[in-house]
Amino acid sequence: MEVRRIGYLLGLSLLMVLSGRLRAQEFTIMNNRMYVTVPKHLSPEQLDSFEVRFDLSDLNLRSILQKGKFDRLRKMGWRIEKNTAGVLQISRQVLGLSDMTNPEKRIKLTEEHPTFAEMFPIENDNLKYGYNRFVRKRPFLVRDSMVTFYMRGHLNARQVMLAGSFTNWQFNALSMNRTDSGWIMVVKLGAGKYWYKFIIDGGWTTDPDNDLHEDDGRGNMNSVYFKPNYTFTLKRFRNAREVYLSGNFNNWLRHDIAMEPTATGWEVDLYLAAGTHTYKYIVDGTWYADPDNPNQLPDGERGFNSVVRIGKPRIFFLKGYGTAQAVFLAGSFNDWKREELSMKKTAEGWTIPYTLGPGNYSYRFFVDGKGIPDPANPYFVSGNGKSDSYLIVSPNFTFRLHGYGTAEKVYLAGDFNNWTPNSLSMKRIGDEWIFSVHLSVGKHLYKFIVDSQWMIDPGNQLWEDNEYGTNNSVIWIEH
Amino acid sequence: MKYCLLAICCWVTAAQADPGQPGAGPLNVRFPGAVILDSMSCVLPFTRAGNLILVRAKADTTDGYFVIDTGTPNLVLNITYFRRYPTTNPTESGGITGAVTNATQTRVDSLTLGPIQYFHVDADMFGLGHIENNKGFKIFGLLGMKLFEGFEMIIDYDQNLIYLHRLNRKEAATYHSHLLDDTSAYQVIPIDIDEDKVIVHTVLKGKKLRFVIDSGAETSVLDSRLPNKVFESVEVTRRVHLDGTGSQKVDALYGNLRDMQLGDQTIASLPVLITNLQAMCDAYNNCIDGMLSFDFLSLHKIGFNFVTRKMYIWK
Repeated sequence: MEVRRIGYLLGLSLLMVLSGRLRAQEFTIMNNRMYVTVPKHLSPEQLDSFEVRFDLSDLNLRSILQKGKFDRLRKMGWRIEKNTAGVLQISRQVLGLSDMTNPEKRIKLTEEHPTFAEMFPIENDNLKYGYNRFVRKRPFLVRDSMVTFYMRGHLNARQVMLAGSFTNWQFNALSMNRTDSGWIMVVKLGAGKYWYKFIIDGGWTTDPDNDLHEDDGRGNMNSVYFKPNYTFTLKRFRNAREVYLSGNFNNWLRHDIAMEPTATGWEVDLYLAAGTHTYKYIVDGTWYADPDNPNQLPDGERGFNSVVRIGKPRIFFLKGYGTAQAVFLAGSFNDWKREELSMKKTAEGWTIPYTLGPGNYSYRFFVDGKGIPDPANPYFVSGNGKSDSYLIVSPNFTFRLHGYGTAEKVYLAGDFNNWTPNSLSMKRIGDEWIFSVHLSVGKHLYKFIVDSQWMIDPGNQLWEDNEYGTNNSVIWIEH
Repeated sequence: MKYCLLAICCWVTAAQADPGQPGAGPLNVRFPGAVILDSMSCVLPFTRAGNLILVRAKADTTDGYFVIDTGTPNLVLNITYFRRYPTTNPTESGGITGAVTNATQTRVDSLTLGPIQYFHVDADMFGLGHIENNKGFKIFGLLGMKLFEGFEMIIDYDQNLIYLHRLNRKEAATYHSHLLDDTSAYQVIPIDIDEDKVIVHTVLKGKKLRFVIDSGAETSVLDSRLPNKVFESVEVTRRVHLDGTGSQKVDALYGNLRDMQLGDQTIASLPVLITNLQAMCDAYNNCIDGMLSFDFLSLHKIGFNFVTRKMYIWK
């Protein structure tokens, strides 16, 4: 399976190189005009991808090439430069901003102008996995990062729009294109979870062919789409009655993720969050590790689980202990399984690469069975009379305490580190003490500890009582 | 506009080691976090909002974050917080992309930046609400290029510190910060100061191009009217819509500029926004070919000697 992924990556790299070359020809600037050259041999889907890639969706190239009418383009300020059997080339003058009369407008010009996907990023916090449950139609076509949303039927509608979390809902809703069986729209999305609805002649509706829908908490029901990032493929057992995928991501549920039969075996597309995932297939009730995946970890029952890693691994390293027989890594990320992650002995110590997604984790090294915290890591969490090392991956929130310039030590503590008081030492920058952690979506409680004195955040008006009558500051992390 | 740089003060007291202590001395009240090195030098902490550099400064009695903006000539005050100030007749103004505009002008009695004090400073007043909304910071104004023209300025992104040194006449030719001792760590590139703009000369496909070094620019910009040969080195990645007048949208392009020479080094790929910079020529009879944003030039440190006209880019 790893070989297949490497092959896929190589193919993708080649495609990117080629597309880079193509881009240079497809979109150029000459004489203060932008030139767009559209190859006419592109399929409708490729045309949609072309439009999205260059942010040219307003041109509706598919319709123009089909009908050969250019009036609308000309009204939009485009000039037809070339229209042969092979290509359509159009151009338009590059205009500048004429009213950039103050410094703010200059800064505004040069600030980031994000794409749709960048403006409305995936909302997958706390989510380990997801898969789609379409009925009466096939899953949306996915090519690289392009997803073709499809609304079946409604061919008599005058207009169908696609609105979702990736369009800021109605604000940037996308006008779908009519096909012979329904309506489609190509959207560039990263892997993750999205919510969407169709707007048919002004009327909002969930996707009737999608069994996944969620209430947004305000009484609105939305359809849910997972842009997958991993395909599980089992090229055996064609004659099996049913095959399920089960792993640590779904708490090893047996009948949760049903795989689809293919010509060669079984398959299912999944969205998997960043991190290390272990899994097995259940073929007519019997558990199997993936026979095509060489990456395995002990399952604790004298067998092995297959492993998928999403994201870059980080290196855990324990210096010394050259006389130890065996060293294992265990932590909250692998349910503290002590004999799953065997570290490799090197000249300097013991090491293991392990992939983790965003979050806060506790861990220990187990040297010949004895647990020790990571001596190279100053952060720890305490509880039950012991201390574990504490690791923050991809912090997404910075706590700030203004003032207190004479304080010698300021710590942060909260539910995210089991209220450990003297671990998360805040750094003095300017006139603030700061510390960054990863906070999941939802409510969190915290306090500062200034020279051993616990205090709520003076810059936060939200606080609530605690069992000691000393109050805790409250922060909500929202989608 | 004239600035009167009256004092770069030096109070060497025990309290300075702990500038955040309330009431410990006048420095503490004015500039929490600033550290005085000697009579002519200071180190200021800064905060980043996106790629903008925010420092705490005080205009008369109003203190808070100001953006260091080498693309703007003057001190600019956010009109939201200085509306009560008396205004003088509108005059011509404009940053590097500014067409001629009628800016409302005012004057602050004192502007304090770390231990540096300016007195009787003319200022332009503009609304800066968009930057505040976009960055989530309360921004009182922009510190334009004229405020730094007599200085050596080194921005240390790793430490979030700005090293400022006011160069007097005697030392102008000889002084350099101790950060410049290791000459192998950085590259020196000559700059010009032209009408309060920092200009650097680059070469692309044999063409000489003039870029403004703009700390207020988050993205580098290239003029779409440059010769076609220049755009042979540009790979366009996508179109982008900019807000024009009212609800009107104006097209611009994103792309990657390849193999631009800056000093002795060749920049393999520079992300640029490509747009028509005619408005700049209208404002100044002297066109520029684009803007270079700070963040691209160095991830670690960047420095300027605005007196000897040098730029230092750390590797």
